[in-house]
Amino acid sequence: MTGQIKLSALVDQIEEAIQTSFEGEMFWVVARIMNVKKYASNRRCYLTLEEYENGIKTAEMRSVFWASAYAEIEKFEKLTGQVFKDGIEITCRVKVRFHKVYGLNLDIVQIDIAHTIGTLELERQQTLDRLLKENPHTIQLFDGVYRTFNNRLPLPAVIEHIALITAPNSDGQRDFQQEMAKNKHQYKFFITEFLTTIQGDNAHKLIAEQLTLIEKSGLHFDAVAIVRGGGSQTDFKPFDDYELARYVAHFPVPVFTGIGHDRNQSIADLMAREQKTPTKVAALFVDHNFEFENNLIELKTRFFDLVENQFQQAKEKVAHARRMVKLASPEAILNRGFAIVMINNKIITDPKNIREQDELQTILRDEIIYSTVTRKNNNEN
Amino acid sequence: MKTEMAYTQAFEKLEALIAQLEDGDIQLEDLAAKIEQANELIAICEMKLRRTEDDVKSAISKAASKRKK
Repeated sequence: MTGQIKLSALVDQIEEAIQTSFEGEMFWVVARIMNVKKYASNRRCYLTLEEYENGIKTAEMRSVFWASAYAEIEKFEKLTGQVFKDGIEITCRVKVRFHKVYGLNLDIVQIDIAHTIGTLELERQQTLDRLLKENPHTIQLFDGVYRTFNNRLPLPAVIEHIALITAPNSDGQRDFQQEMAKNKHQYKFFITEFLTTIQGDNAHKLIAEQLTLIEKSGLHFDAVAIVRGGGSQTDFKPFDDYELARYVAHFPVPVFTGIGHDRNQSIADLMAREQKTPTKVAALFVDHNFEFENNLIELKTRFFDLVENQFQQAKEKVAHARRMVKLASPEAILNRGFAIVMINNKIITDPKNIREQDELQTILRDEIIYSTVTRKNNNEN
Repeated sequence: MKTEMAYTQAFEKLEALIAQLEDGDIQLEDLAAKIEQANELIAICEMKLRRTEDDVKSAISKAASKRKK
């Protein structure tokens, strides 16, 4: 065996070769991240960058974010609304590093966040297009607004029975329940909780399962609230899932979402009635019922006014009739200076019945005058 | 028996009587009787109105107290 060298000598040569080729160089690479292990306390993240072609892995490199680059992960999560986790494709800037003991690594120094946002947006748009294409009668787009079977369902006049899909012991659950319980109008709501995990890879399936439970429960619900709250602004990808969005769009009870992110609307939000946060969903239910109560009060006032008017009009009509009758009475006629002429206690209305020498009784207001007719002339007036 | 007459019926009769008075269709000798009849009709109308108004008010206050309970 000639030409034997020590391992360290070989490793030195490899190191030198790598340094010669890659010293001071940095590269932008597109890869899928896998085996992500984040250590937030010492701000490091170990992972592998992988590439696949037709489902077959064609490249893999161990990689690391050192403390100096860890902020890139935080920035990524904040701006994309997505957790930095296995399976995501990223574009990142790397430098090649070789360690005599630990071998070859890529140090990630920067992430092209715009690329990821673009990729996510593209996926999202593809899902929306598919929803429109495959459900033309129940999901439509008008002036930038998605009109679905679900979000066009009329709301009942009063919302009382609510199915609440949320995570157990979560901020969302607490915020929603508190807002409903402390409503200033003291409305009573009947809330049935359907608890499940609402974040993570399987969340879309678990939420869909809860919707199925609601549908099959045989219970009457006026509305469904899907809420998730608290600080996490990330990981709303489950709500962009095609199957969940389609289920929401066709759900027979009005769905309200309050899944707690301000950056963007999820596709499930677009298929339902979106209120951003659990508190806002609860407030909407309270306001909806308050509006009904207001309408009722207005109707009651109008009803009372109408009843009052009707009585007033009837009273005025009767009072008018009373005045008319009073004016027509014999007393009123006599008061106005007219007289009633009688012969033998019989009222004379036709003067032809009066002859000369007849004894007349002329009835005035206060007196009766007895007289004898001495002469009759025609009244020229 | 006359108090059993409905408000609408009583008021229609009253209106007809007044129309006769206005048109001078009533003979003077019949006038007193007609006036008396009109006054009776007026009394029926007023009594019916009062009673209906009381009934309505009572129904409204009953509904309001039920709601408070």
